[in-house]
Amino acid sequence: MKEWGVGCGVIVIVLLGFGLAVASGYNSLVGLDQAVQAQWGQVENVYQRRADLVPNLVETVKGAAAFEKDTFTAVTEARSRVGQMGASGPSVPSDPAAFAKFQQAQDGLSSALSRLMVVVEKYPDLKATANFRDLQAQLEGTENRVSVERMRFNETAQAFNTKRQSFPTILIAGFFGDRFKEKVYFKAQAGAETAPKVKF
Amino acid sequence: MIRPLAKSLARWLFAGLTLAAGQARAETPPAPARWVTDSAAFLSEGARQEFDLRLETYERQRGHQVLVWISRTAGVVPLEDFTVRSFAAWKVGRKGLDDGLVLFVFADDRKLRVEVGYGLEGQVPDAIASRIIQETIVPRIQTGDRDGAIRSGIAELIAAIEGRGAAPERVALPPPTRSPREESARPLSLGQMVVLGFAVIAFLILFATNPALAVYLLMRALSGGRGGGRGGGSYSGGDGRSGGGGASGSW
Repeated sequence: MKEWGVGCGVIVIVLLGFGLAVASGYNSLVGLDQAVQAQWGQVENVYQRRADLVPNLVETVKGAAAFEKDTFTAVTEARSRVGQMGASGPSVPSDPAAFAKFQQAQDGLSSALSRLMVVVEKYPDLKATANFRDLQAQLEGTENRVSVERMRFNETAQAFNTKRQSFPTILIAGFFGDRFKEKVYFKAQAGAETAPKVKF
Repeated sequence: MIRPLAKSLARWLFAGLTLAAGQARAETPPAPARWVTDSAAFLSEGARQEFDLRLETYERQRGHQVLVWISRTAGVVPLEDFTVRSFAAWKVGRKGLDDGLVLFVFADDRKLRVEVGYGLEGQVPDAIASRIIQETIVPRIQTGDRDGAIRSGIAELIAAIEGRGAAPERVALPPPTRSPREESARPLSLGQMVVLGFAVIAFLILFATNPALAVYLLMRALSGGRGGGRGGGSYSGGDGRSGGGGASGSW
C-alpha cells in the first residue's frame, strides 16, 4: 500500500516536470516566432517604402532623360513584379519557395534601380536639381534601411532556428508540426559583390 | 571618369550582402560619456565644450538625445554598418520613442553621416539630413571652418527636429517606419507561475508571523523598480533604436 503511494507520487512529479518543460519550450518558441513576424513586418515595410519611391523617381528622371526608354521600362517592370506579389503574409518567412520569390523580385528591383542611377550619371543637369538630389538621398537611405532590417531579420530568424533545433525544444516543435517551421534567411544577391559594369 | 552614384549603389548592395550574411559583426566603440566626443582633435576644445553643453541642455529641455561622435575612421566595415551598430549599442534616444540622432564624423575617411532614430524619421527625413550635410556642413569643412561646420550642423538638425527647419518643396516623403517592438508582457510560463505562487504563499506566512518585516520587504521590492534616474552631467543611453535612416556624405 505504501509502495503504491510512493509510485504514484513519482509518476505525478515526472508528469508535472514533463508538462512544465513542454510549456516553457512552447512559450519560448511562440515568443521567438512573434519576434520573427514583427521583424518580417519591418522588412516588408522598408521594401514597400522603396517601391513607393519608384514612380516619383522615374517621373523625375524621365523629364530630363526621356530617351533612356529601356531603363525606365526595366524599372517599371521590376516595380510591378514587386507589386504583384501583393500581400505576402506572415507565412513567407517559413516558406522557402515564397521567400525565394519575394527576394528574387526585390533583388530585381534593386538591380534595375542601380542601372537607372548609372544612366543618370550622363545627365549632370538632372543631378544638380534639388528634386533629384532629395530623391537620391531617399533612395540611398531606403536601401540602407533595407539592409539593416534584413540583417535584423536574419538575426531574429537565427535565434528562432537555434532554439527550435536545440534539445528538448526540437521534440516540441516536431509535435506541433507546421506551427513551428524553420525560418528562411535572406541570402546575398548573386553578383552583388561586384560593382555594376559601366559602359562608355 | 568616376561614377560615384553607381559606386554608391554598389556599396549599398555590398553592405546588404555582408549584413545579410551576418558576418559584419564589427566591434562598436563603448558608449560615449559626453554628448560630444572628439577623438580626432577635429574641433577646438572650446567648441567641443560649447556643443556638449548645448546638447546636454537640449536633452534636459526637450528630451531628444542628439550626439556628435568624431573619430579618425570607421574601420574596414562600411560606414553605415558602423553607425547603425554603434547607435544600437549606445541606445541613443528614449525607450519606446527612439528619438535619438547622432552626427558621425570620420576625420581620416573624410566622411560623415547623420544617423536618425526611428522616432525622428518624420522630422529628419533622409532628404533633409542629406541637405544639411551637403549644403551646410560639407562646404564649411571644405573652407577649413570645422567648428562652424559642426555648430551650424547641430543648429540645423535641432531646427529640423523642432520642425523649424528650412524644408522647401518636400518631395513625397514616405511615412516614417516605426519599429514594432516585441511585446514586453509575455505570458508567464507555468514554471514562473509556480514560483510566483510559492513566493506569494511564503509572503503571506511571513505577513502572519512578522508583519513589520513583511511590509518593509514589500516597500523595498516596490521601490526597487524606480530610482534609476539620470545622474546629471554625463550622457547615458535611453534604449532607443535606429533603422538605418539618415544620410551620408563626404568632403
